[in-house]
Amino acid sequence: DEEEEEEGKEEDGCSQQNRVSRGKNYQRENSNGKKAGEEGSRQRERGKKAPTKDQEETENKGKKTNKKETVEDSQQKTDRKNSTTSASSNSSDEESLSEEELAMLMEQVEQKKKLISTMRNKPWKMVKKLSVLREAQAFVEKFEGALGKGKGKKLYAYKMMMAKKWVKFKRDFDNFKTQCIPWEMKIKEVESHFGSSVASYFIFLRWMYGVNLVLFGLIFGLVIIPEVLMGMPYGSMPRKTVPRAEQATAMDFSVLWDFEGYIKYSALFYGYYNNQRTIGWLKYRLPMAYFMVGISIFGYSLMVVIRSMARNANESTADGDDNNFIFSWKMFTSWDYLIGNPETADNKFASITTSFKESIVDEQESNKDENIHLRRFLRVLANILIICCLCGSGYLIYFVVKRSQTFSKMQNVGWYERNEVEIVMSLLGMFCPPLFETIAALENYHPRIGLKWQLGRIFALFLGNLYTFLLALMDDVNEKLAEEDVVKNITHWTLLGHHNSSVGNDSTATPPPLDPADVPRGPCWETTVGIEFVRLTVSDILVTFITILVGDFIRACFVRFVNYCWCWDLEAGFPSYAEFDISGNVLGLVFNQGMIWMGSFYAPGLVGINVLRLLTSMYFQCWAVMTSNVPHERVFKASKSNNFYMGLLLLILFLSLLPVAYTIMSLPPSFDCGPFSGKKRMYDVIQETIELDFPLFVAKIFSYVANPGLIIPAILLMVLAIYYLTAVAEAYQRANAELKKKMQLQREEEKNKRNTKTSTNPMMEDLEDLLTPSTKSESHPKQAEDKKTECPPRTSPVGKQGKAAALESSPMARGREAAFTPLPPHVFMTQPPMLHVRVPYPGQLRPWGYPPGPVPRMGRGQPYY
Amino acid sequence: GNIGMLICVSVVSFTSVSHSQITRLYSRFTSLDKGENGTLSREDFQRIPELAINPLGDRIINAFFPEGEDQVNFRGFMRTLAHFRPIEDNEKSKDQNGPEPLNSRSNKLHFAFRLYDLDKDDKISRDELLQVLRMMVGVNISDEQLGSIADRTIQEADQDGDSAISFAEFVKVLEKVDVEQKMSIRFLH
Repeated sequence: DEEEEEEGKEEDGCSQQNRVSRGKNYQRENSNGKKAGEEGSRQRERGKKAPTKDQEETENKGKKTNKKETVEDSQQKTDRKNSTTSASSNSSDEESLSEEELAMLMEQVEQKKKLISTMRNKPWKMVKKLSVLREAQAFVEKFEGALGKGKGKKLYAYKMMMAKKWVKFKRDFDNFKTQCIPWEMKIKEVESHFGSSVASYFIFLRWMYGVNLVLFGLIFGLVIIPEVLMGMPYGSMPRKTVPRAEQATAMDFSVLWDFEGYIKYSALFYGYYNNQRTIGWLKYRLPMAYFMVGISIFGYSLMVVIRSMARNANESTADGDDNNFIFSWKMFTSWDYLIGNPETADNKFASITTSFKESIVDEQESNKDENIHLRRFLRVLANILIICCLCGSGYLIYFVVKRSQTFSKMQNVGWYERNEVEIVMSLLGMFCPPLFETIAALENYHPRIGLKWQLGRIFALFLGNLYTFLLALMDDVNEKLAEEDVVKNITHWTLLGHHNSSVGNDSTATPPPLDPADVPRGPCWETTVGIEFVRLTVSDILVTFITILVGDFIRACFVRFVNYCWCWDLEAGFPSYAEFDISGNVLGLVFNQGMIWMGSFYAPGLVGINVLRLLTSMYFQCWAVMTSNVPHERVFKASKSNNFYMGLLLLILFLSLLPVAYTIMSLPPSFDCGPFSGKKRMYDVIQETIELDFPLFVAKIFSYVANPGLIIPAILLMVLAIYYLTAVAEAYQRANAELKKKMQLQREEEKNKRNTKTSTNPMMEDLEDLLTPSTKSESHPKQAEDKKTECPPRTSPVGKQGKAAALESSPMARGREAAFTPLPPHVFMTQPPMLHVRVPYPGQLRPWGYPPGPVPRMGRGQPYY
Repeated sequence: GNIGMLICVSVVSFTSVSHSQITRLYSRFTSLDKGENGTLSREDFQRIPELAINPLGDRIINAFFPEGEDQVNFRGFMRTLAHFRPIEDNEKSKDQNGPEPLNSRSNKLHFAFRLYDLDKDDKISRDELLQVLRMMVGVNISDEQLGSIADRTIQEADQDGDSAISFAEFVKVLEKVDVEQKMSIRFLH
């Protein structure tokens, strides 16, 4: 709306300006412009007049021909306006439709309508008929409204306005949509400077953030907030109270930093939750909700990872062809002519450069001619070396873990012995990836494939890390379980003793309850596990951020500023600037997510921490990349899908599902903490809910379903279904490939045909089809008739050649005809005599609207197929 | 310099731009015209951000000026600018015969082609490609690599083996590219 108003205002401004300067002249000219189409004589008159007027203007040197053109053009303009009313449907345009123009338009519309009604009689192919019909209908629909008087016209104008608004709205909405994609601009900026491979990490990070937000929503909405709002408050029971012994230091920062003290006894951890079946006035079944959320986190993650993998696979197969003109397209079309902002232009420059670099790398890779045997040998060698490395480090980890288990039983062990596992792990993590990279240089893969190998290898190395961590954790848990049994008895006896003593004093009064802080309690292994995961995550966050700060930023500052007073060139020489470590960052993200999945069941607050981490990480890393990293030496294009990352994520998801499932299914929950306390196993909560909250038959059905006799066939059925679906998918893929090949072949064939028969055109083929020898005489007049009806101006007498030519060549004539002239111009070349010399055939005089039926078939003579 | 409405009108017909667009552009023209003599010089064009930023901006500006002149009036201005006008949906259908409007696909392509074809021999040679490349990527890519890019481009596009790109080949290359969208400037809307 604004735009239009602005246009209107500006127009007013301009016309006023002109009016001031030119006075009457303007109006006369305008009216001339309107009526220019009326008659030729007037045009000439004006043509003569115009130059004299123009003498006033210094710019136009008053070339007569020029002016003439102008006149024709102005005429053409009005004409054009009729046909492009949608483009300019302001009121001023509407007014500029003169009577003549309207009449002409009306005539055209009538003609179109007739054409539509007589379409069946035309001796054309069906395809052509359809296309012409559609065109004519569109024309009629468009301009019928414009011709209507009063209401019709207003309706038409309204319709046009709405259409315009709709287009504008759609454009705005699209803009809005792209603006709503978080960090899109940031990522694009990074992409333009560092290439799509680095950007792929950030896109992955953004995706992870989205997933984590959903998980966060689930846990907070269904577990933590209900507990905080409706559960029993802090201090009401032992599990929600800091024990007396710890209370003195519970608020110390060092304690809180270790996630002990008040944090340990908060809703962030498993142990805080009560085993009350329902809480609050909503009768919210918290233990049930806790269990279901724990499961649905895995369910949702699995679903979302797999779905996104499938979608990526779809996308990557969608546009496989048309790689013929990579460089040419980059060369000729990479600049965006709409860019008007210097910053955008800078980015565009960078991205063009990067994309060229990417293509060069691809190109070099595909054109590499090399000793294939040597290459193969080197690749095998590299793999052997790396497998040796992995085995070695695996054994080392195993050895160290074993040793640490013996150490843990001994007293008086030194600092090194206590931390041996961590030290070895971090040393391995520090030195192995560069070692792998060095070895991978032997293989000389394309960097994209090289990155995948590197990722896979480091992943294998990190699995060792995970393994040690889980082993240590399991030891811890077993220890705690043993401890718990002891505590259970103590607690029992303490409570009993308390009761007895109070009973002894006064038998009638109920014993005063023991203060919750004093009740002896078990170790609550679930909370221990949760704290372990939270600590690990937090330390991981810190390490990552500090590494970036020191390894990238400080280094960059050092290189940049100390370079002025140093013996050698720091920028080009040894430290230089850091490159963005894609593999390390991606794996860091993947493993971190694994930790979150494993830990979130025992520490519901973990997901919140992770959301914060990803959020800061996004900003921090974007900043770090842009300030202190340099693009890779060989910028390479990321594969179209992030499916490799997703594959790693899926693997980690599966691996992290195992320990959680194990603990849920086979370890007894602590007796005095957590939502499942007092049950034999955690999943008993489902059975309990079914028995108590559902009608009896549901419980029955459930017990049937849980029968192994049913489960095993169900699993078999699923396996069969999977097998069937993969088979189908494979078949589709093959069919797809086949089709592609066919299309390619067809295209080539077409090209060949075009090369051999350049003059062939569909119309000629039509004619050939039609003009079977027996019916030639009949179809000719038909032909002529068609042409007559379609383009009356062309039959204009040759005497007025000059004018006719001018008319024909002028866009105005085109504007009129084009819309309803389906015949391409070359028809006239192929059969010139028919057109100009042939006298109108008697058949032409027949009315157009004769009924469809046997008569039109006359033109064909024979039905053709 | 007031050229006035007459020119506006005549320009409308040439470029099939609507009335209001013309008036807007005319006011833009006069605002660009710092010398206030009804014509624009090269320096005036440099003030258009879209052109100042464009690596091919100088070439486009040259396209505004007829051979040997360094001033352009409103008509010339509009004539060249019309190449950048987006094609409306309703225009696409009727481009079947008669002279095409300046913003038609083939005219746009031809305009683009002339931007690359410096010596006007209707062929884009390797040297011309190299020049353009240098404008687009600056010094970030080595000469050798630029050379290989140019070679590769010609190899892709060249069909008749003259190691240059003719207009026909150029059109073929860009057959599937949405030139109508790529070579449009929205300020005409």
